[in-house]
Amino acid sequence: MSHQLGRVVSEILHRYFGELVQQVGNDLFIYGSKPISMIVKTTGLPRKQVIESLRTLLKFDLASFEPSVHEVVADYKLLPDNVLLLIRYPRYLLQIKSKYGTEAELLVEELLQQATSTATGLLVTVATKNKDDKEKNITILKLRDTFVSLATAGYIQQAPVADTKEGSSDVPSLVPVATIVPDLDTRQLLHAMTTGSLADIKDNIYWKVNYDRFHQDFRDDIMVKAMTRRIDDNAGELMRLLLQQMYLSSAAWAAESNPTPALDIREAVRRAADKSLLSQHVDHYLKVLEENGAGFVRRVGDAGGGQLVVCGRRAAGRLLEAVLDHVVTERLGSNAARIFRLIRAKKYIEEDDIQKHAMLPNKECKELTYKLLEEHFISVQPMRKAASAGGMAKAIYLYHIKTHDVAHTAQELCYRALHNCLRRAAHERNKHARLRDKQRRVRTIVHGMRMRGEPQQNIDDVEETLTPPELALLKDVEKRLKQLSAAELELDRNLFILNWYFMYSK
Amino acid sequence: MSSNKNDDPISDKILNIAKKNPKGISDKDIIAAVPDLSSAELVAAINKLLQQGVFDLFNQGGSLIYRLKAQTSKQAVKGADNEEKVVYNLIEEAGNKGIWIRDIRVRSNLANTQLTKVLKSLESKKVIKAVKCVNASKKKVYMLYNLEPDRSISGGAWYQDQDFESEFVDILNRQCLRFLQQRADKIKNNPKGPILGRTQSFATAVEVQKYITDLGISNVKLEVEDVVTILNTLVYDGKAESNVYPDGSKVYRAIESLIPPPGLVQVPCGVCPLVFKCCSTGLVTPQDCKYMDEWLEN
Ligand code: SF4
Repeated sequence: MSHQLGRVVSEILHRYFGELVQQVGNDLFIYGSKPISMIVKTTGLPRKQVIESLRTLLKFDLASFEPSVHEVVADYKLLPDNVLLLIRYPRYLLQIKSKYGTEAELLVEELLQQATSTATGLLVTVATKNKDDKEKNITILKLRDTFVSLATAGYIQQAPVADTKEGSSDVPSLVPVATIVPDLDTRQLLHAMTTGSLADIKDNIYWKVNYDRFHQDFRDDIMVKAMTRRIDDNAGELMRLLLQQMYLSSAAWAAESNPTPALDIREAVRRAADKSLLSQHVDHYLKVLEENGAGFVRRVGDAGGGQLVVCGRRAAGRLLEAVLDHVVTERLGSNAARIFRLIRAKKYIEEDDIQKHAMLPNKECKELTYKLLEEHFISVQPMRKAASAGGMAKAIYLYHIKTHDVAHTAQELCYRALHNCLRRAAHERNKHARLRDKQRRVRTIVHGMRMRGEPQQNIDDVEETLTPPELALLKDVEKRLKQLSAAELELDRNLFILNWYFMYSK
Repeated sequence: MSSNKNDDPISDKILNIAKKNPKGISDKDIIAAVPDLSSAELVAAINKLLQQGVFDLFNQGGSLIYRLKAQTSKQAVKGADNEEKVVYNLIEEAGNKGIWIRDIRVRSNLANTQLTKVLKSLESKKVIKAVKCVNASKKKVYMLYNLEPDRSISGGAWYQDQDFESEFVDILNRQCLRFLQQRADKIKNNPKGPILGRTQSFATAVEVQKYITDLGISNVKLEVEDVVTILNTLVYDGKAESNVYPDGSKVYRAIESLIPPPGLVQVPCGVCPLVFKCCSTGLVTPQDCKYMDEWLEN
């Protein structure tokens, strides 16, 4: 695991959980897996704080544990990939809100914050929190229905339970359980709402958010959008339907889905019939998607109009290439990108031929090729000809692209960039911490005064303790932080594509 | 051959037939053409012509063939010494692809200094010329003066005096893209269906060639294969894709990248030349990075 990943993870832990957790996280990242006593020793933190931090990490599924060789103590291990997901939270919320509405958003948000919760606990908490919000009009019944839909669609799932079978070691292990969509008693819920206590309800099934389900949505979205860009909306819609069909018969992340009969697709299009152009020309769209859709879809066999396969692996590869093309273009210019793509198209190519096909001046072409080499976007393979007479043995240099390595280069770059954004944001926060604090205090006071109905004059007086230059500065900082967090989200999207690609190349 | 003043009519007649048969003529052809000729006169006439170096003599299937030498050939030979002749022949043989000085030396067995002198003298007589080779800038090849260098030597339309005209290529690249983009949207929501739309958004190289020619931006005549070369640069730019029609002809269509610019290129670090030197502490840090400052300003 790379040093850069460690830096990002460390920053993220610092932002969300503070310095102590960051220290423990760093320690675990560097040493792989180790027991508590060792963490105490290397970090020099009091044992209690270490345990506290570990508890946080475990709760949010950012670390795991397993029995060490001695069987009586546990070794702890950081899960850096899960730490990275912390910055993805806003996207989960956005996604679920657009699909299932505000209730779902509230539920998922609460569940993400609590990491795990019982169904009733979650519902009652969310309902209580939003009791007074007339606008949203949240009722526990609506929440319950939403909860059931979310569980059915797999966005939330039952948390793994500790396996306490005797005979195994002293350290429990967590085993996943199949999710059963719960049957929640309305009366009990309403009762709990009025009394405000959960004591009467026996509910010991814990729930958590199923990230993978969200990631499937993200993946589908990328594919659909790509087809929309490449062909048109109808092709995008067709892609969506194809993916839906795929889920019925294949594993979500299969490198290649099981074949779906074209008949089924046609049927699905007919049912979703608001795209009249699509339903008129389904077969044509299928053909165009297959031939001009960057290889996302492949046809197998001809029986009964043929069968279609969604090629997840190939799609990931193509999207990775698109990412790399953009990166090369921005870093080294469009002519370098031309050379980069040329090398990819030809697989192996000699320097002279690069110049010939890229149609660039000799000198520029060479310079760019060497720059690409220097930044590890391309590789070179010398081929020595058998020594011929008279010192004429000239080695030929074949340029080529090691996609997997380049993807790693891009990933490292993303980690660096992400780290820098996080770091910069932390810096901005720190620098203006005092002022931001003040603003917060003023806001609370003003809020309190409004609630109490104090005269506007007094409120204004309090508000004016923030001078105009201070306000301007605050606005400025706010803007920067917003820009930085938008960038973090974008970088996360970028990493998503890279990770999707790596999923198949392990 | 007008320069070749032959007073006697027999020689003229023989030359005439020879001109009509560039592959060469035999004794029989001559007799057929000039029937009222004694064999002695014939021999005398031919000998005279051979002496003048007008003919090359070949032995083909047992009979002698006379072939007319090219005009320059004769000029070169005129007043030339043996070395020049040898070198000249080698160069002539190489045709419009030219021959490299090394190869001349090896094959003529001439010493370097002598060869240079010979080449100089031939050059000054405007019998041969040296042409710079486009794909190896230091390499010069020699060919006959009146020949048009082969594309592989001159680089074709893209070279002006062996200099690559990148601006010209750029302009063509842009114009080709413009042409493709004009029709690219035909595939989108085409009421006649996407296959027809796709066909409408495709362009063949011939169509593009016509468009470019009509634009009149090129004073060199562009062949279809030149246009294909340019179209291929568009493919390598990621701005077009090519398909092959069932009849084997290639067609092109303007496309967009599968994704909008990804996160990495939206932040300054993704394009930063210092990114590998940037650390948490030290001279280059994200905290006081100028690029970040600028980026956060707007
Ligand atoms: S923080 Fe600044 S110096 Fe560092 S990589 Fe980013 S842009 Fe470059």
